[in-house]
Amino acid sequence: MAGKIMKGGEFLIAESECQDIFTPEDFTDEQRAMAETTEQFVENEIIPHHDEIEGQNFEHVVEGMKKCGELGLLMMDAPEEEGGLELDKASSMLVGEKISTSGSFSVAYAAHTGIGTLPLIYYGTTEQKEKYLEKIITGEWCSAYCLTEPGSGSDALGAQASAVLSEDGKNYILNGTKQYITNGGFAELFTVFAKVDKQHFTAFLVEKSFAGLVVGNEEKKMGIKGSSTTQIILDNCQVPVENVLGEIGKGHKIAFNSLNIGRFKLGAGVTGASKMALGEGIRYANERKQFNRQISSFGAIQEKIADLTASIYASESLVYRLAGLLDDKIATIDKGVDDYYDQYLKAIEEYAPECGISKVFCSDVLAKTVDEVVQIHGGYGFCSEYPAERYYRDERINRIFEGTNEINRLLTSGMILKRAMKGELPLQAESMKAFESLMTPSFEDVDESIPFIAEKMTIQNLKTLFLILSGAGVQKYMDKLADEQEILMAASDIVIQIFAIESAVLRAEKIIDTLSPAKQEQLRAAVKVATFNATEVAASAAKKGAYMVEEGDALTMILSGVRRYTKYDASGLLEAKRTLAAAANDAEKYIF
Amino acid sequence: MKILVCIKQVPDMESRFKVNAAGNWYEETDLAWRMNEYDEYAVEQAVQLKQQVGDADLTVLCIGSDRVKETMKKALAMGCDRGFHIADDDSYLKDPFAIATLIAAYAKEQSFDLIFTGMQSQDRGSGQVGVLVAEMLGIPSLTTLVEFSYADGTVNAKRELEGGIKAKVSCATPALVTCQLGLNTPRYPTLPNIMKAKKKEMISTPVADLNPEASLLEVLQVTPPEKKGGGLILEGDPADLADQLIKLLKEKTTALA
Ligand SMILES: Cc1cc2nc3c(=O)[nH]c(=O)nc-3n(C[C@H](O)[C@H](O)[C@H](O)COP(=O)(O)OP(=O)(O)OC[C@H]3O[C@@H](n4cnc5c(N)ncnc54)[C@H](O)[C@@H]3O)c2cc1C
Ligand SMILES: Cc1cc2nc3c(=O)[nH]c(=O)nc-3n(C[C@H](O)[C@H](O)[C@H](O)COP(=O)(O)OP(=O)(O)OC[C@H]3O[C@@H](n4cnc5c(N)ncnc54)[C@H](O)[C@@H]3O)c2cc1C
Repeated sequence: MAGKIMKGGEFLIAESECQDIFTPEDFTDEQRAMAETTEQFVENEIIPHHDEIEGQNFEHVVEGMKKCGELGLLMMDAPEEEGGLELDKASSMLVGEKISTSGSFSVAYAAHTGIGTLPLIYYGTTEQKEKYLEKIITGEWCSAYCLTEPGSGSDALGAQASAVLSEDGKNYILNGTKQYITNGGFAELFTVFAKVDKQHFTAFLVEKSFAGLVVGNEEKKMGIKGSSTTQIILDNCQVPVENVLGEIGKGHKIAFNSLNIGRFKLGAGVTGASKMALGEGIRYANERKQFNRQISSFGAIQEKIADLTASIYASESLVYRLAGLLDDKIATIDKGVDDYYDQYLKAIEEYAPECGISKVFCSDVLAKTVDEVVQIHGGYGFCSEYPAERYYRDERINRIFEGTNEINRLLTSGMILKRAMKGELPLQAESMKAFESLMTPSFEDVDESIPFIAEKMTIQNLKTLFLILSGAGVQKYMDKLADEQEILMAASDIVIQIFAIESAVLRAEKIIDTLSPAKQEQLRAAVKVATFNATEVAASAAKKGAYMVEEGDALTMILSGVRRYTKYDASGLLEAKRTLAAAANDAEKYIF
Repeated sequence: MKILVCIKQVPDMESRFKVNAAGNWYEETDLAWRMNEYDEYAVEQAVQLKQQVGDADLTVLCIGSDRVKETMKKALAMGCDRGFHIADDDSYLKDPFAIATLIAAYAKEQSFDLIFTGMQSQDRGSGQVGVLVAEMLGIPSLTTLVEFSYADGTVNAKRELEGGIKAKVSCATPALVTCQLGLNTPRYPTLPNIMKAKKKEMISTPVADLNPEASLLEVLQVTPPEKKGGGLILEGDPADLADQLIKLLKEKTTALA
């Protein structure tokens, strides 16, 4: 548990101590046992039915969910009073990471345990929980979440579905069409959003058996073909008034809070998928010979393996650091209080920027991973006989659902700037200091005895650069900055890279002394490669941002700042990449 | 009924093994650790027996460093009632005899009705520990079991023999059985049971307290298997091929010397 709990977004202006962050090396024996149970479940119960599931034989999905129920994999977030385990986020993210190797099944699992269950847990009345939760956490019923409509996706609150109270006051009559509903084909319980009297956005618990709920046809999709995605049509659907979830007119809170959680969980899931894909790529590279050599012996292939290893290491470090942030914050809430879940959701909302970062960074890492894994396979990566082809297709959705990566990027930097303007984060004061530093020459007196000092200084510098750029943006556009999306996108790219490498470096600092000399060398290599790559991305975004915000002398000055603050001495980069690749090729999997 | 199951923690067999500096075992750093596969069958059978007889107390025993407690917790989560850990950082240097004396020393005091072990460990593979323990305790041992049943103080079991032949055997308790692949399908611990296992008793005793005996065997050297060279395909017309072959045999072998 952390000594000091950082606020959301505070990492941009404060330095974290490595002892205060949670890392995968901090998992308890119990958490590791849960991970092992999940891995065995996937291997023994899902992989054997993989082809049937991909062929949309959903019986196997429904059966698999029941098995998950027996193993307790659906009850992690449910309160103890309702038969749940109420485990911490680190546990549920670890299980989410492990389940992700089940491909399409993991989408059903994630939708059920995430957006399908959490609204009921957080907002349900005791009666509602008594009625439905047991069925959900045992897997007797699958659940779905119906927010999106044909005319409103990213703009979720623009939903048209309507709810009108019946004359006898006993039912709401729902009408409308919900689009792209995961688990739509076999779910028994739907959390449906609709506007009461065309204005009060509200959530309803709708059973499949309620008159007027019609399940549409399965969508023909690019990937995750074994997951069910259908329209849900509400045709005068009758929902008893006691099935209103939360308060009338407060549905937007349910929708957004569910998404926050979905986002960090997605980060964990895609990290697991990245590890799996990388392993497949390495094994193939060791197997395949061209020019009388294993292609894994070629530098061009090794570099891919090294870069991916470093990125996945950063992705993993980020995900579990965020888990730790959330768990530490949630642990400060008194369990006995009446508004426990209100405070709980506020705690999660506090880290909404970090949740968005997790979603974007980790799904981008998966995108890069599956692309390179196809490339490593050459022509065989393009053909469905090899799993690389499916990984490539399955990956794509992760950058679209749970808020597109654009929406998440915009939200991330947008929220941070909004908090700064409201005075919740002292960004402006820090930004002034950063401007001053720009005008004073630097005397870099480096204390080489500090572990990972070069990386830490780079992170510090990137933070300074972010403050300079965001300060310039705010000065120029004031509260209109939200309309300058290109600039916000650049800003969030810097923020995302900062959080990712800072997580990677702090984790390395925390664990390095516990490792064997060989592993230490690999870890240093991963940190170097990750920091170099991240700094390049951040530098490019910063430059773009500078050109977009400033002109003339101010531009010249900021550009010099970009050069100064994106310097990272990555001497030994080649050896670092070869070290990583050699270790990964030897282990034939992700090595950390 | 008092039941004991003995388990060992072994490396994930998919690991890349390296010989250690002393040359007498594999290097233990950077490995992932698991329960020995045969011991999983043993734990599963012991748990099934406990569930069958109802009034039973099931202890899991493991020798090794603190690291092995993680594997013991898995056995507790699978259904064992308590753990007995013999803390020994150098257990890998002990031979099967020395290991068996430790188990026997503990088991003697406890008078178990039935003791389960794996048929062998995946890393050392001596297949001796269970049999030696039985011998030291003066009780019968049934080895390589692929079927097991128990009723009224009698074990009825099937052993796997060479060539797929099975032998039906039976003995009265107290007894020791060693478990082979095919005996059962080990359960995976459910999440609620993993959490409950946290609260189960786990006693850790320093190995010195059990008066360990010296090993009778010493491992002199551990070596990885020799690397086999890849095949070589010669091309050309038959006369040319013969020349190439003779050249190779002369250069690389002693066949024509
Ligand atoms: C397989 C699958 C499963 C799904 N499961 C569910 C589910 O279970 N429940 C559910 O409710 N929904 C679900 N969805 C819907 C999903 O959440 C939406 O597809 C997603 O939110 C994007 O909405 P849209 O498709 O309408 O795209 P649009 O919102 O039309 O977006 C199109 C493009 O415009 C961009 N864009 C939109 N608004 C802005 C803006 N303000 N600024 C900048 N760029 C913008 C987007 O980033 C995107 O690139 C699922 C979708 C799919 C494909
Ligand atoms: C849809 C499709 C249509 C095709 N059509 C034709 C056709 O009409 N006629 C035809 O003859 N072929 C055709 N091909 C074959 C295509 O040209 C090969 O797939 C391509 O040349 C790659 O070879 P490979 O698949 O064997 O991959 P590999 O050569 O095994 O390459 C695998 C990976 O190793 C890398 N690699 C290989 N060698 C080295 C090296 N020396 N150094 C560094 N990296 C290396 C590659 O860049 C790649 O990333 C087709 C393939 C596909 C998928």
